Amino acid sequence: MEKSSDTLLYSRIREKDKDALEYLYDRYEKILFSFLYKMTQDRDLAEEALQEVFIKIWRGVGEYDDSKGKFASWLFRMAQNSAIDLIRKRKKPTVPLDEVAEMPSGESSVEQTAEWQEEKEHIQAAVSQLSAEQQEMIQLFYFKGHTHEKIAELCGLPLGTVKSRIRLALSKLKKTLHGMQERGAIDE
Amino acid sequence: MNNEHCDQLVDYLSGTLSDEETRQFEEHLKTCDECREIADATGQLPYLSDPAEPPAGMKSRILSNVFAEEEEDTAVEGTERVSPTIKNEKQVEDELPKVVPITDRKRKRVWWTPVIAAVLLLSLLGNAYAFMQLQQEQEQAAPEPAPPPSQPETAFQSIDLQPSEGFDGDATAAVIEEENGALNLVVTAEQLAALEGDQVYQVWLIEGDNPIPAGAFTTNANGEGATYFNIDNNTEEWDTIAITLEPQPGNELPQGEVVLSAGI
Repeated sequence: MEKSSDTLLYSRIREKDKDALEYLYDRYEKILFSFLYKMTQDRDLAEEALQEVFIKIWRGVGEYDDSKGKFASWLFRMAQNSAIDLIRKRKKPTVPLDEVAEMPSGESSVEQTAEWQEEKEHIQAAVSQLSAEQQEMIQLFYFKGHTHEKIAELCGLPLGTVKSRIRLALSKLKKTLHGMQERGAIDE
Repeated sequence: MNNEHCDQLVDYLSGTLSDEETRQFEEHLKTCDECREIADATGQLPYLSDPAEPPAGMKSRILSNVFAEEEEDTAVEGTERVSPTIKNEKQVEDELPKVVPITDRKRKRVWWTPVIAAVLLLSLLGNAYAFMQLQQEQEQAAPEPAPPPSQPETAFQSIDLQPSEGFDGDATAAVIEEENGALNLVVTAEQLAALEGDQVYQVWLIEGDNPIPAGAFTTNANGEGATYFNIDNNTEEWDTIAITLEPQPGNELPQGEVVLSAGI
């Protein structure tokens, strides 16, 4: 349901419906900002990256369709790529974590918070199934926005090995998530 | 062949492929369930982030910039701007010394863009009635609006108005072109004196001796106000924009004194 309503919103945005863009923004603001903040450790950079995402969506850059997978995954990937670009260009020292404001209770909708919590537990459970090294790969690759070269340097591994380990880690993550989904479906 | 593409998945996910390679890989995604499912699985990783509170006013800043991009693009006809403003800002920064304090970037943001966003959104949501109550009388009295010219030209983009002697205040006026070619005048003002009774601040577009009422507003407790006005008859001939202090709303000609003004 979530997926189809996102797709519907997106098609309205392609027709230049500003309300639809605002609706999409509201739906994803919190998770995107939190994710971008986790990546950049910089509130300004996170905002800039978020803005780029919505400018791209509004302009139809890198248009979405079903063949590119789930809408949310596509959206997060675009956000991640924007953040990586900014991080690599800016190369600013990072801001200490304690500067981040805590989420005031009741700020987000209960529904959003519950959904987030559910997704979080789900993905945490899946990530915990990975080896420590695989978890590290995902951290470095996904959240730190490091290039493969940088990861190779940090881990003292050949470049080819880094790429195949990242792929392996992601592949295992996918299988675990699928397995959990199937079990969940049976439980229901 | 497929394996060759599958090897590019990690590069695709980190956005390091060229445009052409990305296009080819997306073709591959259509036929490779494995790669598509892995790409989808990464879409759950952001939920590992701890909730962080977005900065105040972020939504209005972002949406106004997103929509302002669009307006600029349609206004500058025949000029293809590939990179959005945000990129231009980066290019500028690239030419400057690398260390740019965060606060500087913040200060560069135009102070009234959130107001424009707010105003635009109000209008878009169809809630503009309450906001534009003051203008309705004027619009009803005005002649039947002529259809906008097929290639409307914007008289000006953004102007700062200066206070007349004996008055305080700051105001900025901007013309925004909508998708359908309609033009809107957005005026935002601050540090204005408080109003009394039925008084309103009235905006005028003036051509020679002919002032046209172009929106009116009242101020909040902080002396701030804004108006959003649909321009029916665009002309290149306006020479002045002014804000007067009118004793009551709905005046067809100014009665009060000019508080702020600027040549166009």
